[in-house]
Amino acid sequence: MSFQDATAIVGLGQTTFAKGLEQSETELAVEAVSKALDDAGITPGEVDALGCYTMENVPEFELARHMGFGDLTYFSQVPYGGGAGPGTVGHVALAVAAGISKVGVVWRSRKRSSKASRVWAQTSNVLADQWKWSRPSGLLRPVDEVALLARRYFHEHGVGREALAALAVQLRAYANANPNASMREKTMTVDDYMAARMVADPLCLFDNCLETDGAVAVVITSAARAQDCAQKPVYLHAFSQGMAKGHQLMTDYHRADPFRTCSSVVADNIWRQTDLRPGDIDVAQIYDAFSPLIFFALESFGFCEPGEAAEWARQGAFAPDGRLPVNTSGGGLSEAYIHGMNLVGEAVRQLRGDASTQIEDARTCLVTGCDSTPNGALLLRSDA
Amino acid sequence: MIDNIPLPDTDVAHEAPFWAGLQDGVLKAQKCASCGHWHFPARFRCEACGSGDLAWQDVSGRATVWSVTQVHPPVLPAFAPFAPYAVVLAELKEQVGLRMVGNVIKQSGDAINAVALDDIAIGAKLEAEIVEIGDGVFWPHWRLV
Repeated sequence: MSFQDATAIVGLGQTTFAKGLEQSETELAVEAVSKALDDAGITPGEVDALGCYTMENVPEFELARHMGFGDLTYFSQVPYGGGAGPGTVGHVALAVAAGISKVGVVWRSRKRSSKASRVWAQTSNVLADQWKWSRPSGLLRPVDEVALLARRYFHEHGVGREALAALAVQLRAYANANPNASMREKTMTVDDYMAARMVADPLCLFDNCLETDGAVAVVITSAARAQDCAQKPVYLHAFSQGMAKGHQLMTDYHRADPFRTCSSVVADNIWRQTDLRPGDIDVAQIYDAFSPLIFFALESFGFCEPGEAAEWARQGAFAPDGRLPVNTSGGGLSEAYIHGMNLVGEAVRQLRGDASTQIEDARTCLVTGCDSTPNGALLLRSDA
Repeated sequence: MIDNIPLPDTDVAHEAPFWAGLQDGVLKAQKCASCGHWHFPARFRCEACGSGDLAWQDVSGRATVWSVTQVHPPVLPAFAPFAPYAVVLAELKEQVGLRMVGNVIKQSGDAINAVALDDIAIGAKLEAEIVEIGDGVFWPHWRLV
């Protein structure tokens, strides 16, 4: 059995991305999954595999019952929040490639826009997990944890906020061109960025992802079956998860080189599986709960040298005509924060050729999970 | 001491010498008896050589600022009166990568927001000062030296 190009994403569905949607997470999941199956031209009764995040609130049996799925032979959950996305797709693709299942659905449904849903705000008074080593000192939120790495990165490479500003402004421009983006009507300049309130110095409001309600789903089947589906197949070319030696979730500071992140592990294993090299990647969807994670991940994947991603941002390398267009729907910063599943959706659109900002002749796309958790990546392409 | 902050669970058998040391005003870390590699937080086997023979030893309490942030609202209610406040990642002089999260002070009794962000340079020297952060729970603050 070979994984490479043996399976394909053949269906994509998503709901409206907004704050304060009326529907429940179950309703949003059903809507996205229904659209994904319609998109693929596959009936619900054919679905026999499911993949989701451990943080997903809609149980598999509820989704299966509501959707009218058939007997399920495989269901997988992937841990670690925003790190999970590529793994949810990769696990189901593996099951299909191995012949365990035939048609898989992966989804993420989340109502994140109410303040009550902030995970960090539910910190208990006695910390038994790894946050016992940091939260008592007031390092409370994921953004605080990433800010420590961002400032060190700034220090090591002589980088300033203008690099993150260039990145955030570029992603906002992509969102402005995307009719489904939460920020489609709100433009942003470098001055707007610099004037935003500080959250965890050096990270300001616009270095943080949106808080969004919505759902995204994809349908995965074999490359053979994909030939009969309604849409052009997007092939799963390579996949890996990654957990770096000595990693500690989010507060990954207690080892010699915290910048050799879980992404570095994923990258080594992705490039091992393929003859494609970073220079062959046409477009990338990089997990961006916080803007610096894009720099860290691009450097880990070898697109550029340590510290150089910031320079790329200043030079416009992430623009549609740049060296590596990144997060071309606006990403978590400006399209929606569906825990990274919207990045998978944008990868599919780019490789089908129907993205809102279509990158010319895009045939390969890398999709990554959160750089500061155990994570994963998918290398997708349009030609098998 | 700040009322109602989240506190670490200290009732953990393999961490007992660490928390007891802090109560006695001594900062300790695990050191591998086989290869000498230091560890924080505690673990059961050495990450460098795999030995299970890890012993708690006193550390110097001297460190440098590896990184720093300043936390602005919104924060947990207990921390709100102090925001914005700085948080550092202190790298102990014993070993690269032996790091602890904490707050910076200039002198004993300082609040966690006593030192401005601009006064905390990466690389600045620090010295541990162990303080009670909750009833019976002690943790190092880091004094600029």
